[in-house]
Amino acid sequence: MWINTTRFGRIDVDSADLLNFQSGLPGLEQCREWALLADAENDALGWLQSTTRDDVAIAVVSPRRFVPQYQVRIPRSELTPLRLHDVKQAQLVVVVSKNNKGLTLNLKAPIVINLEARTGRQVVASGDLSLHQQLDHTLSTLKKSA
Amino acid sequence: MLVLSRQRDESIMIGDNIVVTIVDIRGDKVRLGINAPSEIPVHRQEVYEAIQRENIQAASLAPEETRDIGGLTSK
Repeated sequence: MWINTTRFGRIDVDSADLLNFQSGLPGLEQCREWALLADAENDALGWLQSTTRDDVAIAVVSPRRFVPQYQVRIPRSELTPLRLHDVKQAQLVVVVSKNNKGLTLNLKAPIVINLEARTGRQVVASGDLSLHQQLDHTLSTLKKSA
Repeated sequence: MLVLSRQRDESIMIGDNIVVTIVDIRGDKVRLGINAPSEIPVHRQEVYEAIQRENIQAASLAPEETRDIGGLTSK
Protein backbone atom coordinates (compact mmCIF):
# COMPACT_ATOMS: atom_id res chain seq x y z
CA MET A 1 0.00 0.00 0.00
CA TRP A 2 1.30 3.42 -0.95
CA ILE A 3 1.29 6.23 1.58
CA ASN A 4 2.30 9.85 1.22
CA THR A 5 4.71 11.31 3.74
CA THR A 6 6.13 14.81 4.02
CA ARG A 7 9.52 13.54 5.23
CA PHE A 8 10.11 10.46 3.07
CA GLY A 9 7.98 11.16 0.00
CA ARG A 10 5.62 8.57 -1.41
CA ILE A 11 6.50 5.15 -0.03
CA ASP A 12 5.26 1.61 -0.47
CA VAL A 13 4.60 -0.21 2.79
CA ASP A 14 3.61 -3.84 3.09
CA SER A 15 0.24 -3.94 4.85
CA ALA A 16 1.59 -6.81 6.98
CA ASP A 17 4.14 -4.36 8.38
CA LEU A 18 1.59 -1.87 9.68
CA LEU A 19 1.06 -1.43 13.40
CA ASN A 20 -2.28 -0.75 15.02
CA PHE A 21 -2.34 1.59 18.03
CA GLN A 22 -5.83 1.16 19.40
CA SER A 23 -5.63 4.39 21.43
CA GLY A 24 -3.38 6.34 19.09
CA LEU A 25 -0.61 8.16 20.91
CA PRO A 26 -1.25 10.75 23.64
CA GLY A 27 -1.54 14.07 21.81
CA LEU A 28 -2.05 12.21 18.52
CA GLU A 29 -5.07 10.16 19.49
CA GLN A 30 -6.51 10.09 15.96
CA CYS A 31 -3.39 8.42 14.55
CA ARG A 32 -4.10 4.74 15.04
CA GLU A 33 -2.30 3.12 12.16
CA TRP A 34 1.45 3.48 11.79
CA ALA A 35 4.20 2.09 9.61
CA LEU A 36 7.54 1.38 11.27
CA LEU A 37 10.25 2.51 8.86
CA ALA A 38 14.01 2.11 9.09
CA ASP A 39 15.96 5.35 8.77
CA ALA A 40 17.85 5.44 5.47
CA GLU A 41 21.06 6.79 7.00
CA ASN A 42 21.12 5.60 10.56
CA ASP A 43 20.57 2.02 11.64
CA ALA A 44 20.02 3.07 15.26
CA LEU A 45 16.91 4.98 14.27
CA GLY A 46 13.41 4.06 13.18
CA TRP A 47 10.39 6.19 12.30
CA LEU A 48 6.80 5.58 13.18
CA GLN A 49 4.96 7.14 10.27
CA SER A 50 1.23 7.74 10.52
CA THR A 51 -0.59 6.26 7.54
CA THR A 52 -3.38 8.81 7.81
CA ARG A 53 -1.42 12.03 8.42
CA ASP A 54 1.47 12.49 6.05
CA ASP A 55 3.14 15.11 8.29
CA VAL A 56 3.15 12.99 11.43
CA ALA A 57 6.20 10.80 12.00
CA ILE A 58 7.96 10.06 15.25
CA ALA A 59 11.61 9.04 15.54
CA VAL A 60 12.18 6.03 17.80
CA VAL A 61 15.23 4.19 19.08
CA SER A 62 15.94 1.13 21.17
CA PRO A 63 16.69 2.72 24.55
CA ARG A 64 19.38 0.37 25.84
CA ARG A 65 21.80 1.44 23.15
CA PHE A 66 21.74 4.97 24.58
CA VAL A 67 20.86 4.37 28.23
CA PRO A 68 22.37 0.99 29.15
CA GLN A 69 21.05 1.11 32.72
CA TYR A 70 17.46 1.73 31.56
CA GLN A 71 14.99 -0.62 33.17
CA VAL A 72 11.24 -0.24 33.06
CA ARG A 73 8.42 -1.47 35.17
CA ILE A 74 5.12 -1.24 33.36
CA PRO A 75 1.80 -1.71 35.15
CA ARG A 76 -0.15 -4.67 33.84
CA SER A 77 -3.11 -2.43 33.00
CA GLU A 78 -0.93 -0.73 30.41
CA LEU A 79 -0.01 -3.98 28.68
CA THR A 80 -3.39 -5.74 28.73
CA PRO A 81 -4.66 -3.99 25.56
CA LEU A 82 -1.63 -5.29 23.62
CA ARG A 83 -2.65 -8.91 24.22
CA LEU A 84 0.92 -10.02 24.77
CA HIS A 85 1.08 -13.73 25.45
CA ASP A 86 4.81 -13.76 25.80
CA VAL A 87 7.12 -10.90 26.76
CA LYS A 88 9.48 -12.08 24.01
CA GLN A 89 6.97 -10.86 21.43
CA ALA A 90 7.37 -7.37 22.76
CA GLN A 91 9.71 -4.78 21.39
CA LEU A 92 10.35 -1.65 23.41
CA VAL A 93 11.29 1.64 21.77
CA VAL A 94 11.42 5.21 23.04
CA VAL A 95 10.48 8.45 21.32
CA VAL A 96 13.21 10.86 20.23
CA SER A 97 12.50 14.55 20.61
CA LYS A 98 14.49 17.74 20.98
CA ASN A 99 14.77 20.71 23.24
CA ASN A 100 17.02 23.77 23.08
CA LYS A 101 19.99 21.68 24.25
CA GLY A 102 19.66 18.96 21.66
CA LEU A 103 18.03 15.57 21.24
CA THR A 104 16.13 13.91 24.07
CA LEU A 105 14.57 10.53 24.81
CA ASN A 106 11.22 9.97 26.51
CA LEU A 107 12.08 7.25 29.04
CA LYS A 108 8.91 7.75 31.08
CA ALA A 109 6.56 6.73 28.28
CA PRO A 110 8.11 4.02 26.09
CA ILE A 111 6.25 2.44 23.19
CA VAL A 112 5.64 -1.30 23.44
CA ILE A 113 5.06 -3.15 20.19
CA ASN A 114 3.57 -6.63 20.01
CA LEU A 115 5.48 -7.94 17.00
CA GLU A 116 3.18 -10.92 16.47
CA ALA A 117 -0.18 -9.16 16.72
CA ARG A 118 1.22 -5.98 15.09
CA THR A 119 -0.22 -3.82 17.84
CA GLY A 120 1.43 -1.01 19.73
CA ARG A 121 0.84 1.25 22.67
CA GLN A 122 2.63 4.04 24.43
CA VAL A 123 2.70 3.15 28.09
CA VAL A 124 3.52 5.06 31.27
CA ALA A 125 6.32 3.35 33.16
CA SER A 126 6.43 3.35 36.95
CA GLY A 127 8.99 5.31 38.87
CA ASP A 128 11.03 8.43 38.43
CA LEU A 129 12.02 8.48 34.76
CA SER A 130 12.64 11.48 32.55
CA LEU A 131 10.26 12.57 29.80
CA HIS A 132 13.18 14.27 28.09
CA GLN A 133 16.45 12.59 28.93
CA GLN A 134 19.16 14.65 27.28
CA LEU A 135 21.41 12.87 24.82
CA ASP A 136 24.94 14.09 25.07
CA HIS A 137 27.60 14.22 22.43
CA THR A 138 30.66 14.87 24.56
CA LEU A 139 30.24 11.83 26.74
CA SER A 140 30.24 9.42 23.82
CA THR A 141 33.29 11.11 22.31
CA LEU A 142 35.11 10.60 25.61
CA LYS A 143 34.04 6.97 25.75
CA LYS A 144 35.31 6.34 22.25
CA SER A 145 38.72 7.79 23.04
CA ALA A 146 39.05 5.88 26.30
CA MET B 1 -19.06 18.67 35.99
CA LEU B 2 -20.68 16.41 38.53
CA VAL B 3 -19.56 17.33 42.06
CA LEU B 4 -20.10 14.91 44.96
CA SER B 5 -19.23 15.33 48.62
CA ARG B 6 -17.54 12.34 50.22
CA GLN B 7 -15.95 11.56 53.56
CA ARG B 8 -12.99 9.38 54.34
CA ASP B 9 -13.57 5.69 53.47
CA GLU B 10 -16.51 6.57 51.25
CA SER B 11 -16.45 5.72 47.56
CA ILE B 12 -17.97 6.59 44.25
CA MET B 13 -18.64 4.18 41.42
CA ILE B 14 -17.98 4.97 37.77
CA GLY B 15 -19.91 2.58 35.57
CA ASP B 16 -20.29 -0.80 37.20
CA ASN B 17 -16.65 -1.73 37.64
CA ILE B 18 -14.63 1.32 38.69
CA VAL B 19 -14.57 2.32 42.36
CA VAL B 20 -12.79 5.42 43.64
CA THR B 21 -12.37 5.53 47.42
CA ILE B 22 -11.28 8.44 49.59
CA VAL B 23 -8.49 6.76 51.57
CA ASP B 24 -7.18 9.71 53.51
CA ILE B 25 -7.58 13.48 53.80
CA ARG B 26 -4.79 15.55 55.27
CA GLY B 27 -4.80 19.31 54.92
CA ASP B 28 -5.06 20.09 51.21
CA LYS B 29 -4.07 16.56 50.16
CA VAL B 30 -6.50 13.78 49.35
CA ARG B 31 -5.39 10.18 48.86
CA LEU B 32 -7.54 8.18 46.49
CA GLY B 33 -7.77 4.45 46.05
CA ILE B 34 -8.81 3.35 42.58
CA ASN B 35 -10.15 -0.08 41.76
CA ALA B 36 -10.53 -0.57 38.03
CA PRO B 37 -10.36 -3.48 35.59
CA SER B 38 -6.82 -4.30 34.50
CA GLU B 39 -7.42 -3.00 30.96
CA ILE B 40 -8.21 0.52 32.19
CA PRO B 41 -5.04 2.57 32.70
CA VAL B 42 -5.16 5.20 35.43
CA HIS B 43 -2.85 8.23 35.24
CA ARG B 44 -2.15 11.43 37.08
CA GLN B 45 -3.45 14.02 34.65
CA GLU B 46 -0.30 16.15 34.62
CA VAL B 47 1.81 13.14 33.58
CA TYR B 48 -0.54 12.32 30.71
CA GLU B 49 -0.57 15.95 29.56
CA ALA B 50 3.23 16.09 29.68
CA ILE B 51 3.37 13.00 27.45
CA GLN B 52 0.92 14.62 25.02
CA ARG B 53 3.12 17.73 24.78
CA GLU B 54 6.24 15.61 24.38
CA ASN B 55 4.70 13.61 21.50
CA ILE B 56 3.53 16.71 19.66
CA GLN B 57 7.01 18.18 19.98
CA ALA B 58 8.55 14.86 18.83
CA ALA B 59 6.29 14.79 15.76
CA SER B 60 7.94 17.99 14.53
CA LEU B 61 11.43 16.44 14.39
CA ALA B 62 12.96 16.35 10.92
CA PRO B 63 15.26 13.53 9.76
CA GLU B 64 18.13 16.04 9.30
CA GLU B 65 17.97 16.84 13.02
CA THR B 66 18.67 13.23 13.97
CA ARG B 67 21.81 12.74 11.89
CA ASP B 68 24.34 12.55 14.72
CA ILE B 69 22.27 10.29 16.96
CA GLY B 70 24.54 7.29 16.34
CA GLY B 71 27.34 9.11 18.20
CA LEU B 72 25.22 10.19 21.12
CA THR B 73 24.66 8.71 24.50
CA SER B 74 22.72 9.57 27.59
CA LYS B 75 23.99 12.36 29.83
